[in-house]
Amino acid sequence: MSLFDKFEKTAALYYQLSDAGQNPFNVVMEEVLGPTRALIKGRETVLAGTHNYLGQTFEPRAIAAGQEALAREGTGTTGSRFANGTFAGHKKLEAEIADYLGLSHCVVFSTGYVANLGAIAGLVDPSEDVLLIDADCHACIYDGCQLSGAQTIRFRHNDPESLDKRLGRLDPSVKGKLVFIEGMYSMYGDIAPVAEFVEVAHKHGAYLAVDEAHSFGIYGENGRGVSEAEGVMDKIDFYTGTFSKSLASIGGFVASNHKEVEYLRFSSRPYKFTASPSPATIASAAAALENIREHPQLREKLWSNARRLHAAFTQLGLNIPAPPAPVISVLFPTKEEAFAAWNYLLHQGVYVNMAIPPGTPGKESLLRLAVSSAHTAADIDQIVAAYTAMAQTFESARVSASAN
Amino acid sequence: MPDIQEDDDLVFHKICSLLEPLNEKGVKLTRDTDLITDLEIDSVSVLDIVMDIEDNYDLSIPVNTISETRTIGELVDAIHAIKKEQA
Repeated sequence: MSLFDKFEKTAALYYQLSDAGQNPFNVVMEEVLGPTRALIKGRETVLAGTHNYLGQTFEPRAIAAGQEALAREGTGTTGSRFANGTFAGHKKLEAEIADYLGLSHCVVFSTGYVANLGAIAGLVDPSEDVLLIDADCHACIYDGCQLSGAQTIRFRHNDPESLDKRLGRLDPSVKGKLVFIEGMYSMYGDIAPVAEFVEVAHKHGAYLAVDEAHSFGIYGENGRGVSEAEGVMDKIDFYTGTFSKSLASIGGFVASNHKEVEYLRFSSRPYKFTASPSPATIASAAAALENIREHPQLREKLWSNARRLHAAFTQLGLNIPAPPAPVISVLFPTKEEAFAAWNYLLHQGVYVNMAIPPGTPGKESLLRLAVSSAHTAADIDQIVAAYTAMAQTFESARVSASAN
Repeated sequence: MPDIQEDDDLVFHKICSLLEPLNEKGVKLTRDTDLITDLEIDSVSVLDIVMDIEDNYDLSIPVNTISETRTIGELVDAIHAIKKEQA
C-alpha cells in the first residue's frame, strides 16, 4: 500500500473540494457551444478561463484546413518527428512561424510543454553547462531543467539585477549558460523586462530563451510577443511558444536565429521519442496563424476587452496584481475564500481558473480570468455582472479588505 | 518564539530565523527537523527561503542541491560546502 500513502494529504484536499461544491480541477465541458460558451453541469456558461485569446477555436478556415488535412493525410502520423512523423505540413508550418517571427529557424514539437522540455534538455549538457531560470517560470521549464540534469539556479522574478548577481558568481569553468524567462507570466498577467534581461545575459556571455506561450500573437506591433514589444526580437537567442493558446490547436515550437537550433532534431529526446502533431492539428494551427496575421483587429479586440474588464474590476476594488493584460487575476487571502468565490462565479454562469499555492507566486490563491477577442459585448456584460455580485459577497477579494 | 536548539553555527541560526515565520505549528527547530514533513512547508517555499539565504551569503545554491536536502542540518551542511567551494 505504501505506493499510495504519499497521496493521502493531496487526495483529502481534492475530495474536500468536491464535497464543498464543484471541484475546479474536475470540470467537464459537457457540450461546447462556441468559442466562449459551453454547457457545464447542464448550465450555459461563459468561458473566461480558457486560453482562446484570439478566439480561433471555431475559425472557419482553421476548421476547413483541419478537415481537409484529416481527409487527405489521415488521423495521425503514428511516429515521432525524428522518424516517420514529419510531413510536408510540419515543415511548412515551421517556415511560416519563422517568417512571422522574423527568425531564421523553427523546430516544431508535439506540445508547448514538450517544446520547453525539448529545448532545455536538448541544448544543455549537465557536465559543463548551467541553467538560470526566473523563480516564477512555468512547471515545464522546471521539468526541462530536471530532465537536463544540469545545475539549475533560480533568480528573483522579473529581477535582472538578481540574475546579474547569480551570473557573476558562476565559476569561470562553466561553459554554456542558458537563461530562461517568460514573456507574459500566466498567473498574474505581468510581463518581463526582456530588454534588460537580454543586456544582463549577454554581458555575462549567457544565452537568453523567452517562453512566449501566453504572449504569441498578442503583444508587440505585429503580435510577435513581449520580445517584440520590448524591441529585442533580433537580440533574444531562443523563442519558445505553443499552438494551444492564440492558435487554438495543439503543438509547440522553438525558434531562433542560431542555426544550431536545428541540432535539437537529433539532440532532443522530447523531439525524438514522442509522436508528432497530427496532420489536422498542424493544418488548423497554420490556418489560424495565417488568419491572425491577416487580421490584427483580433488582437485589438482582445486588448479592448481586456482593458474594459480590468477597468470594471478596478472600479469594484478587486485586488488585481498587474496592469491590463490578456490574463486578469484577482487575489484572495485564503484558498477557502478563492474556492468559494470560484464556485460563486460558476453559479453565476462564468467559468474562470482557480490557482492555489504552491502553483502561485507567493502565498496567494487567485482566480484567473483569460480574455478572448471572441468575447461578445453580452459575454463581457455577464462577466462584469458576475464579478460585481462576487465582490459584494466576498469582501476579502477587495483591496481595502485584504489590506486590513 | 519556540526554543532554538543551542548551536553556535551562524548559518543554522540564520536559516531558523528565515523559517520561523513559516513555522505555523511552533515545531522546535533542530538540525534534524524535516522541512517538508515536520514543518509542512511546500517545496516552492523552501526554494524561496533558499533565495534569501543566497542573497544573505552572496552564494548560489542550485535547485538540484536543494531537492537532495530534507532537514535543516542537511541544508546547513550544503551551504557550508558551497561557501567553501565558492570562496
